[in-house]
Amino acid sequence: MNAGSDALRVFRENLRLAPGRIAAAAFRTGVPHTDRSRSTFVFGNVFLHLHSVRTHRWSLRWATTAGLGIATLAAFLITLVTGVLLMFYYKPYPDAAYLSMKDIHFVVPTGRFIRNIHRWAANAMVVTVILHMARTFYTAAYRAPREFNWLIGMALLAVTLGLSFTGYLLPWDQLAYWAITIGANIAQSPREVTDALGVTEVFDPGGLQRLLLLGSDTVGEEALVRFYLLHVMLLPLVAAALMAVHFWRIRKDGGLAKPADVDRRLPAADGTYPVFTEAPQKTYHLAAIVRGRTPAVGHGPEQTVPSMPHLFYAELAVFMLTVFACTALALVSDAPLKELANPLVPENPAKAPWYFLGLQELVAFSAFMGGIGIPAVVLVGLGLIPFLDREEAGTGEWCGGPGGWPLVRRSALIGLASAIAVEAFIIRFGWLREWFPTIPQLVITAVNPGTVLTAIYAGYSMWLVRRYNSTRAGALGLFTCFLGGFLVLTVVGTYFRGPNWQFFWSPADWPLH
Amino acid sequence: MASLDRNKWLLLASSVGVLVLLVVAAVRENVLLEWRQVQAEVRLDGQPVPVHLRQVVNQTLGVADRCVSCHVSMAPGEQNATGPAQRSHPNVVHDPADFGCTACHGGQGRATLKDDAHGTVHFWPEPMLPVRSTEAGCGTCHATAGIPRREVLDGWSATFERLDCRACHRMDGRGGTIRPDGGGMEGPDLTRVGLTGYRADWHDAHITRAAADTAAPWRTSWRSVSEADRADVERFLATRVAMPSLVSAKSTFFASGCLGCHKVSGVGGDDGPDLTRAGEKDPGRADFAAVAGDRTLDNWFDQHTRTPTSVVVGSQMPALRLTDREVDDLTLFTLSLRRRDVPGSYLPRDRMRVSRFAEREFASDGATVFGAFCAGCHGRDGLGLRAAGVATFPSVANPDFLAVAPDALLSETIRRGRPGRRMRAWSDDTGVRAADIAAIVAYLRTAAATPAPIDSKPARWVQGDPAEGGRLFERTCAGCHGPKGEGLDAPALNNPVLQAAATDTFFVETIARGRRGTGMVGFAESSPIHPTLTRADIESIVSFIRTWGVQP
Repeated sequence: MNAGSDALRVFRENLRLAPGRIAAAAFRTGVPHTDRSRSTFVFGNVFLHLHSVRTHRWSLRWATTAGLGIATLAAFLITLVTGVLLMFYYKPYPDAAYLSMKDIHFVVPTGRFIRNIHRWAANAMVVTVILHMARTFYTAAYRAPREFNWLIGMALLAVTLGLSFTGYLLPWDQLAYWAITIGANIAQSPREVTDALGVTEVFDPGGLQRLLLLGSDTVGEEALVRFYLLHVMLLPLVAAALMAVHFWRIRKDGGLAKPADVDRRLPAADGTYPVFTEAPQKTYHLAAIVRGRTPAVGHGPEQTVPSMPHLFYAELAVFMLTVFACTALALVSDAPLKELANPLVPENPAKAPWYFLGLQELVAFSAFMGGIGIPAVVLVGLGLIPFLDREEAGTGEWCGGPGGWPLVRRSALIGLASAIAVEAFIIRFGWLREWFPTIPQLVITAVNPGTVLTAIYAGYSMWLVRRYNSTRAGALGLFTCFLGGFLVLTVVGTYFRGPNWQFFWSPADWPLH
Repeated sequence: MASLDRNKWLLLASSVGVLVLLVVAAVRENVLLEWRQVQAEVRLDGQPVPVHLRQVVNQTLGVADRCVSCHVSMAPGEQNATGPAQRSHPNVVHDPADFGCTACHGGQGRATLKDDAHGTVHFWPEPMLPVRSTEAGCGTCHATAGIPRREVLDGWSATFERLDCRACHRMDGRGGTIRPDGGGMEGPDLTRVGLTGYRADWHDAHITRAAADTAAPWRTSWRSVSEADRADVERFLATRVAMPSLVSAKSTFFASGCLGCHKVSGVGGDDGPDLTRAGEKDPGRADFAAVAGDRTLDNWFDQHTRTPTSVVVGSQMPALRLTDREVDDLTLFTLSLRRRDVPGSYLPRDRMRVSRFAEREFASDGATVFGAFCAGCHGRDGLGLRAAGVATFPSVANPDFLAVAPDALLSETIRRGRPGRRMRAWSDDTGVRAADIAAIVAYLRTAAATPAPIDSKPARWVQGDPAEGGRLFERTCAGCHGPKGEGLDAPALNNPVLQAAATDTFFVETIARGRRGTGMVGFAESSPIHPTLTRADIESIVSFIRTWGVQP
């Protein structure tokens, strides 16, 4: 026996223990068995510590959120991964871009499948982000102290639409080219007003917007490079930063919104017990600087469970479900790729991405109102809701507040019916331009189907505020109406508009040329 | 806890689901590929070939053709591969290993699925050319200078046949066969002789050889060729550029007068659409509502050529009375009107001559120029055309007309047209040159065997009484020519170009002698069915007609 062989023995022993030690070094807590080790597991991890250590049982009910926020995040992560894979082959230059799409489709192993997943996840993200916003609204979760998170959520909605829209151009096919042309024209729509006022020469915000978007007068290589940069770098970074804040704020704002009488609503269940039965880790010094209601002092039965594993299994389940949905859709439905973009052969009808078709439906009458005016009013209105609705009744409940579910049902009916009525009217009878060909555009800008619909909704909402003596009731009605209107306009724009934006029951009836 | 269990089950189910989907996708996208299965059955010298994606890449032409992933036997170095659907490429000048496939055949070279590759899918504007129209692909790059109209080309071809040149020479896949009495295959293949050229003293060389050689064909098939036949044969050889169907289709096009309404590469009229790139039309954007059969461009052109108005509503194009073979020819020609941007080094000489040195694809003789520009309306033989719904196109080959019409009237009418009528001015921007107009006039004279009239009188010599002429005109002429000479059933007499170009003698003689085959009778002859006019009457009428014209 000498020192050398001893060192070798130690070396072998260390080698044997290395995997366990690597795991221990990474996770620090070992396998979490007790509530205490579960807690340290969560706040000792840079990703998990965005969650609170314990989660309220109310938040874990499927009906509370339907997992929509996590589904949105999942869709984002899926697009992130598949997007990075696509970037290995994609060449952001006109014509070459199209050829690289063809190569991805035909030659890159599973390239088509990955592109399909990317496309479906992107669409799923738009859908879930809208549904997530609706969930937040209908459960009145935007109320204090979560007002600012509501605003961040709106920013994320805008970034999501931006991500999807910028990705639309990248295949550089006819569909992409003309959809972006339409989008750029919507950006230019303030010209309608400046033209009518005759000040476009000196004051042209519309032209500037379009120029900033395209980097040129037409959709070309500048626009493609610009969209590419926005799509793969700028917007994902912004989205990631905003998401981090969004999630962190959930914790800081006291978790998900809960009804005031949540304890009564939640039946007692096995496994709930007063918290802090073990030695409390939290000092009240720290609690003193946390805003809002501080934990578990003077409350009834403790309803929280450790986030690890309860919350994380729920989140993982939603994540995998989203992956499953996107993968399944990707297997059965290919992402579209039309002919190479050709500026000389306009698509007719040229349609924007589906989530903008509601706006395009309005743009047909007034580009300014459809493209800027009404969206701006809607966004400002949405942003102001948490600051106008300072009521308390109904927080954390679906369709909570005065009026409740019957009001939402009636509002949905009114929202859908008036949008369908307005659409039916303009399809059957036309609008001012058809009746008075010489009418000034400013009149149509002020009075068009979009503004009429908005006025109907606003009037109905005001009536609700008086009827129920509640801002929340008005907001519930207005939000529902706008959702209904968005749905009707989008469906009409997607399925019932053909060449020259004329109405057709089916694409089979479209005339050629 | 119940909710934890539910979430765990959900996680398990969706994870397993994702796993299954990924495995399915991996198999489908990597293993079950059509071309892998095709290649698995291919044998090269009895051995299986390695299964991998094959392609022909030509950066200069912008070609990346994966067609050879299935058509392995057309891949470079694997021409001897055998297997289902494996066939080697016919021996052509352009090696597919260099040019790829799509440059000639169309289709989607980057695709690796059959329907996508053959281009018969939505959103691919350039499907493969059907095999019978393969030569249309030549038109992508190649032009041919100096193709005559069909009748002329057929004449040359007939001379070539009559002289029995094919006894020894193979051409376009025919002739030069081994004969039972020995010999055959004596001469070189003439399929590409228009490109490669031949000995200028070929005739003398044949005579010398015939004297020395005793092989059978020299005795039975060869005899010396007359000067005129030799000229025909030599002109025929110049058109043999390895694309016989396309050359023949072009000659039909130049006999059918399509250029009267359509422009091709800047030459032609503009009543109809410009056809310069008609062969690139995207079948996905064509209207097949009234087209029976396949949704192919081929079929669309075929039916449109037969009955234009039923395929394109409101079309002004008359239904030309064409034989099936002519329809096939015109379809092939239209399909050949395609272009690909190729670098100068790939631009063939024939295209260079046509696009850079102002040579024309059609021959410049009168018959061909008339066939190319005029035959559509005036008929191939110049005898005019009556079609439903359009004004009658006059017979310009009418001997009675040519006997009284001076050459200046013909050429001025061609040069300046008939304002207000279908006959346009054939000015320089239509590609018709002054020499062409002279050639057309000469052709009409030769074809109708009617020389130009000899007229010693000045253009304006009639001194009749316009007032008396007006009364006579109203009674005798206005019924057909209209009270103001605006032309009803008969031609308009107040047309400024006619007034300027026609001589008084032309008017007087036409009225006196009439024009057989039309409603115009000779008014100087006595007849029970029309009034007889004296020379003085006729001159009065001409004086009256002249009141509509501007003085020259």
